[in-house]
Amino acid sequence: MESVGYHILGGIVTIIVAFTVGLTYMGLSRKITARIQNRKGPPFYQNFIDALKLASKESAIHHGFMQHSGPAFLMVSAILSVLVIPVLNNGNWFPNLNFHGDLIFLIYIMVFGSLGMALGSGQTGNPNSAIGVTRGLSQMVGFEIPWVMALVAIMVKYQTTSLVDLLEVQQTGGWLMFSSPFAFIAGVLAMLGMFRYSPFDIVSAPTELASGPVSENGGKYLFTMMSSGSIFAFAKLVLYVDLFLGGASNLIELLAKTFAIYMIPMLYGVVSPRYRTEQAIQYFWGWPLFFGFLALVHALVF
Amino acid sequence: METILTIFIIFIAGTAATYFLGKLNGVLRSILFLATLAATGWLFFTGITPESGIEFRILGITMGWGITPFSYIFAIIVMGLALLSGIYAVKAMEDEKNLNFFFANFLLTVMSMMGILFSLDLISFFIFWEIMTWSSYFMVVFTGKDVQKVGIKYILFSAIGAYAMLMAIVFIYSFTGSVLIGDFIDNFHLFDTQMQWLIPILLLTGFGVKSALMPLHVWAPGAYSNSPMSYTAMFSGALSKMGIYGMVIVLILIVQQIPNGYWIKEVIAWMGGITAAMATLWAIKQDDAKKMLAYSSIGQLGYIIVGVAIGTPLAMLAGLFMAVMHGIFKSTLFMVVGAVERQTGTSNFTEVTGLIRKMPWTFLAALMSIIALAGIPPLGGFIGKWMLYESLMGSNHYLLIIMIFFSSTAAFLYCFKFLFGFFLGQEEKEWSHVKEAPAMMVIPMLILAGFAFLLGIFPGLILKPINEGMQFLGYVSTTNRFWEMSIIFNDWGNAVVMMPIFYWIIGVFVFFLVFLTIKGYKTTRYVSTKDISTSGEIPKEHENLTFTMGFMQPFLRAVAPVMKRQIDKYYTSIGNGLEALFDFTRRINTGNGQTYALYFVVFIIILLLFKDSLF
Repeated sequence: MESVGYHILGGIVTIIVAFTVGLTYMGLSRKITARIQNRKGPPFYQNFIDALKLASKESAIHHGFMQHSGPAFLMVSAILSVLVIPVLNNGNWFPNLNFHGDLIFLIYIMVFGSLGMALGSGQTGNPNSAIGVTRGLSQMVGFEIPWVMALVAIMVKYQTTSLVDLLEVQQTGGWLMFSSPFAFIAGVLAMLGMFRYSPFDIVSAPTELASGPVSENGGKYLFTMMSSGSIFAFAKLVLYVDLFLGGASNLIELLAKTFAIYMIPMLYGVVSPRYRTEQAIQYFWGWPLFFGFLALVHALVF
Repeated sequence: METILTIFIIFIAGTAATYFLGKLNGVLRSILFLATLAATGWLFFTGITPESGIEFRILGITMGWGITPFSYIFAIIVMGLALLSGIYAVKAMEDEKNLNFFFANFLLTVMSMMGILFSLDLISFFIFWEIMTWSSYFMVVFTGKDVQKVGIKYILFSAIGAYAMLMAIVFIYSFTGSVLIGDFIDNFHLFDTQMQWLIPILLLTGFGVKSALMPLHVWAPGAYSNSPMSYTAMFSGALSKMGIYGMVIVLILIVQQIPNGYWIKEVIAWMGGITAAMATLWAIKQDDAKKMLAYSSIGQLGYIIVGVAIGTPLAMLAGLFMAVMHGIFKSTLFMVVGAVERQTGTSNFTEVTGLIRKMPWTFLAALMSIIALAGIPPLGGFIGKWMLYESLMGSNHYLLIIMIFFSSTAAFLYCFKFLFGFFLGQEEKEWSHVKEAPAMMVIPMLILAGFAFLLGIFPGLILKPINEGMQFLGYVSTTNRFWEMSIIFNDWGNAVVMMPIFYWIIGVFVFFLVFLTIKGYKTTRYVSTKDISTSGEIPKEHENLTFTMGFMQPFLRAVAPVMKRQIDKYYTSIGNGLEALFDFTRRINTGNGQTYALYFVVFIIILLLFKDSLF
């Protein structure tokens, strides 16, 4: 069972599932946003059509080697995060890398991609890319603090940094969402920034910056970025479900829970105007930080 | 046993020969310089084992030289970095003047650092410490820029540290009657309470200066950026570790014995945390690469201090591992800046851009060490950061972990700024003539970057000597409890297994490299960085699109309230106050004989007037 082939198979299946689910969610979000804004909106499978179109295109020009490897960095980060996060609990899924990395590793591997991407788009020399990158990195410093406080609170409370252990805890002790409510709130508020929907969408600033970091990439590169984005979105959603919602024992349950989580940043985004970068940072260091502190206190006292 | 003496004799002879014979011929000087380093390095790595040592008596005082398993860790850093930055320096300094002075001083610094690590008594420790301070001071003022501002700051703070240390040494000698460090540690519990608190604080002040602990750090940004880069590679990489070396000994062997000494460790750990956070913010603000790396060094030393001050086995492992890693990647980065400066003539981000295609190997070295600095897996920086976080959680320092996490996340900003500023962005015509740095400069950088990579996958390589050193300090062996060759564990038994992670990273990366990057690279054609779409418009040839001014402005606006206060300003106001005081003293103490005669007369009159009430 534990052969190399089995591991590779597990990895590929996980990636395909993540890709499909992520793209579907993105398509659904477009549809829902449209309905809220009283538009008809594209069909939910529109993103698959886009992806197919981009993948079949050919690029004619490039700006150098680093630009080419930017998407590869992004892919490494997305795939490794999805492999480290247990997709289903009770070992109902391929083990992948579940027992080889922990939450701190996860935090770091999740930023690996954005740094690689930043370098890749940096080589294009497009000032819009660099502006987008600086905004993205700054915003990341903002939301990482409450996010880490939430994680530290959970890790300290249950004396483990392993996601698998946390899933086991929730099997018996109920969802962490209820037993560590403040950590959940801080985590969800940080998630708003992590998904980069409005009001935190100044990074790619779709209307002014020609999509920020990705502005010089097209064709297969844009496809790679799109797929890594959807894999990454799936990874983050599953992480939240694993952390706070007790994981899922089958795929249907997983879809229901991840979609419920996904609705939070999306619906919050639809009704919010955009923050400037420093406003976004100050937002994250306000209430989310406060809830992070509460979570820490809660973890220590109770 | 005699190997120790041989090493020092070679160092002294080599220094003298480099200085005097070096005046005759440049090639001879370089050969002598490298031969000295190579000979001592060879003797050290083959002839010295962690148990070697000698004792001798001078003027009735027993002194000793020897190497302990603990100082062996630092000796590896010093010797390794000295060899590589020495090779680099020979080429990098080629066109400078006054080189025999530079190289002799370089050797003197290496010798003094080895001397500090070899000293088993306080007298030779202090002498070598002073040689180190002075030789590095000469390097700080070597370029002749800002001698007043930077040099005096450095020597002033070093002097404060040195006098604090000297005071402690005198106290120790008067209490124990011996200068051997071993005797001091054994007898420390007999000291009275006041001394038990005073001596560690004095010693920590001395070591804190060298390891740039806030608020004693103000010399560092100027000194690191003002020295020649080939020397700063060692200055920041190895010399600052001497402070850490002393700090560990004080905190573990001495503070441990004080009742309630726990508080000293907590305070030092918090100072380290604040140092890390503030230095990172200031690093983001800098537009000069040297200044940025200098602040970044202060920040990184902050992490190391947090690790060693917490002092649990895992935290100590983390601190010492990060000390080694910092030596590796920060030296590489300073060498990169040196290479860029040599090829372009400036180290300012706002001037140089788009060097990636001109200096690809330098970029590779910079990229690897930046990834290590940012602590991103699979490079070595991650191992140290991971262990630090886990140890902070295991030892209940929850706010400190947030502090450290904030600074290491904010470090991404200056990491990106460094790579983007020099190597990425618009390729300007102004820099089209730039060529790759000479092989003699690039190879040491790549070797160091290779080490950063290797230690990320096999941290056990360096954790093994660290573990032995920690056993010498009284820790229980941590092998298989906190680390194996490529696995690291935390206090709760959770692990990160590097090998399968590494396979996946390499697998995925190579897959995309082959099927996307290389394939795409061949089928597409290169266009210049002017041929881009900026919001639908195609920029003209003369349009300047370089984006480097005010690079992290939004972030800096958000953190502006924190950065308003600057310790420098407080020091300046203290300095001004002192100046006023001295000015006042000058009015009294005029140097004029008549004034003194007047004072005397006034004094006599006062005596006569009040003689009844006084006596």
